[in-house]
Amino acid sequence: MSDIVIKTKALRKSFGAKNKTVTAVEGVDLQVAAGEIFGFLGPNGAGKTTTLRMLTTLLSIDGGQAEVAGYDVRKKPAEVRKHVGYVSQLGGADDEATGLEDLLLQGQLYGMSRDAARTRASQLIVALQLREFADRKIGTYSGGQKRRLNVASGIMHKPTVLFLDEPTTGLDPQNRANLWEQVRKLRDEGTTIFLTTHYLEEADALSDRLAIMDNGKIVAEGTPHELKAQISGDAVTIKPKPNKLPLESISKYVASQPFVRKSRIEDGAIRLYVDDGAKALPMIFALLDDKKISLDTVAVSQPSLDDVFLMQTGRSLRDTSNGGIH
Amino acid sequence: MKTLNDVRLLFLRPFMQYLRNPMFIFVNLATPIMYLVLFMPLLKNLSGPGLRSSDIVQIFLPGIIALLFASAGLFSVFPTIFDLNKGLIERLRVTPASRFALLIGPILMWNAWTLISSAVIVAISVAFGFHVHLFGLLLFALLLVMLLTIFAAWATAMAILMKGDIQSISGVVTGLNLPILLLAGVMLPLTLAPSWMRTLAHFDPLYYAVEAGRDLAAGQVSTHGVALAFAVLVPLTCFVLWWATRVYREAVS
Repeated sequence: MSDIVIKTKALRKSFGAKNKTVTAVEGVDLQVAAGEIFGFLGPNGAGKTTTLRMLTTLLSIDGGQAEVAGYDVRKKPAEVRKHVGYVSQLGGADDEATGLEDLLLQGQLYGMSRDAARTRASQLIVALQLREFADRKIGTYSGGQKRRLNVASGIMHKPTVLFLDEPTTGLDPQNRANLWEQVRKLRDEGTTIFLTTHYLEEADALSDRLAIMDNGKIVAEGTPHELKAQISGDAVTIKPKPNKLPLESISKYVASQPFVRKSRIEDGAIRLYVDDGAKALPMIFALLDDKKISLDTVAVSQPSLDDVFLMQTGRSLRDTSNGGIH
Repeated sequence: MKTLNDVRLLFLRPFMQYLRNPMFIFVNLATPIMYLVLFMPLLKNLSGPGLRSSDIVQIFLPGIIALLFASAGLFSVFPTIFDLNKGLIERLRVTPASRFALLIGPILMWNAWTLISSAVIVAISVAFGFHVHLFGLLLFALLLVMLLTIFAAWATAMAILMKGDIQSISGVVTGLNLPILLLAGVMLPLTLAPSWMRTLAHFDPLYYAVEAGRDLAAGQVSTHGVALAFAVLVPLTCFVLWWATRVYREAVS
């Protein structure tokens, strides 16, 4: 087995609110290997950021153990800081400084000489395509430009592990794809990356391995492929034309058939889980025809990570009240 | 050594930024000049028999300067709140930078700017009859730096503990500004105050600086007021810095 760079055992954190405490992280066990992109997927409020903040020494740990880059986070926070990079959701760039100044400050705070920081900054300015605006005030940057600078800042000191908290929130698709590329390149150069996201597509496309978190606990862990393979078969999504029958009763009616394992309603459509999509389709059509229900759209697909989340928690990640999933 | 270098870096960051901001420099110099222009004429007419206007400048100028330092300390919390809410402080807290340096860097920057504008005031006041006792003024500067540091470190720690909530913090800071100013006898001497107010004044760090400042500006170095100011402000500075550094270290923000 390759080197483990992040290891937690029964990691716990609760926050005190007047007469009750809220447990944000409840016994998280994790192992992240060197050189992988580890995704942390879950709805907002699942405890992802809290876990990440404990691992980066920003939050005290209430219970359990955590080891990052070979150092105990509770006993050697100063050592951990030297070996991790962190890009928070807010980014934390200094709007009044230029991009170059911000990188130089970051490097020097990690103990680099001014010359060494300058050399490293010019490398990163090229690698992350910052050249055009590196001498402009950060306050004038676009969202995508700022995000790339944040990442550059997080890797100035060549950390063993880079923590990214919701790195693509608020980015347009083009900038998101660009950032994914950068993250993969970093991984290929040997940096371990730990990122949180509430985007299913991002967790699926970017992570080598991922953990799904809900209510402070990890509910599933594995490669995206392994996780989706837990749900054998296919998903068939049907969207009936407006009809006097409510969706719920159509869903129930179809689900009562032996070849349908489960059904649920999602975004005005019915999602059915079947062993073999190709075989199930004609049977579904026949059933609906009997009831004189015609369809707007039909789609057969492999199960998604959302289906995994649903299986583990009984809820859809798309439906979770405060999750911004679109 | 690492700590000293961190202090230097975190002092220079905001200092250089303000240095290239013409509006900031203008306000930083114009405000003290405004105090003088709008205040000195009032003092002139205060002078009565046996009290020349130059005596009054000697008495009031230390108060005005001490007030500048106290306000700079308290209001230095606002840029800190913005830094907190932009995630800048969190980003710095993940680096190995010394926690003490994170706290003291910006505070030293405010001290530097306020010393610069105070030097301008003193220079102008000479024209109004202010007599410069250099050694006294240097000791006074030392007290003022401690004063600003106490207020700034306290306000910074409060900002972190209140998680950058600008409404609560600005309420506390602006709410405290006026009583701190009035209790110190900056505008009107406390000899006019009832005894309960004079007792209360002893809980106001600014009070000690103003009292000592009047002695020091007059060139009287070894007075009770000067000794008391050092006896109170030195330990208080140490305590507040220790406490605020601890808050930086353990913050849950």
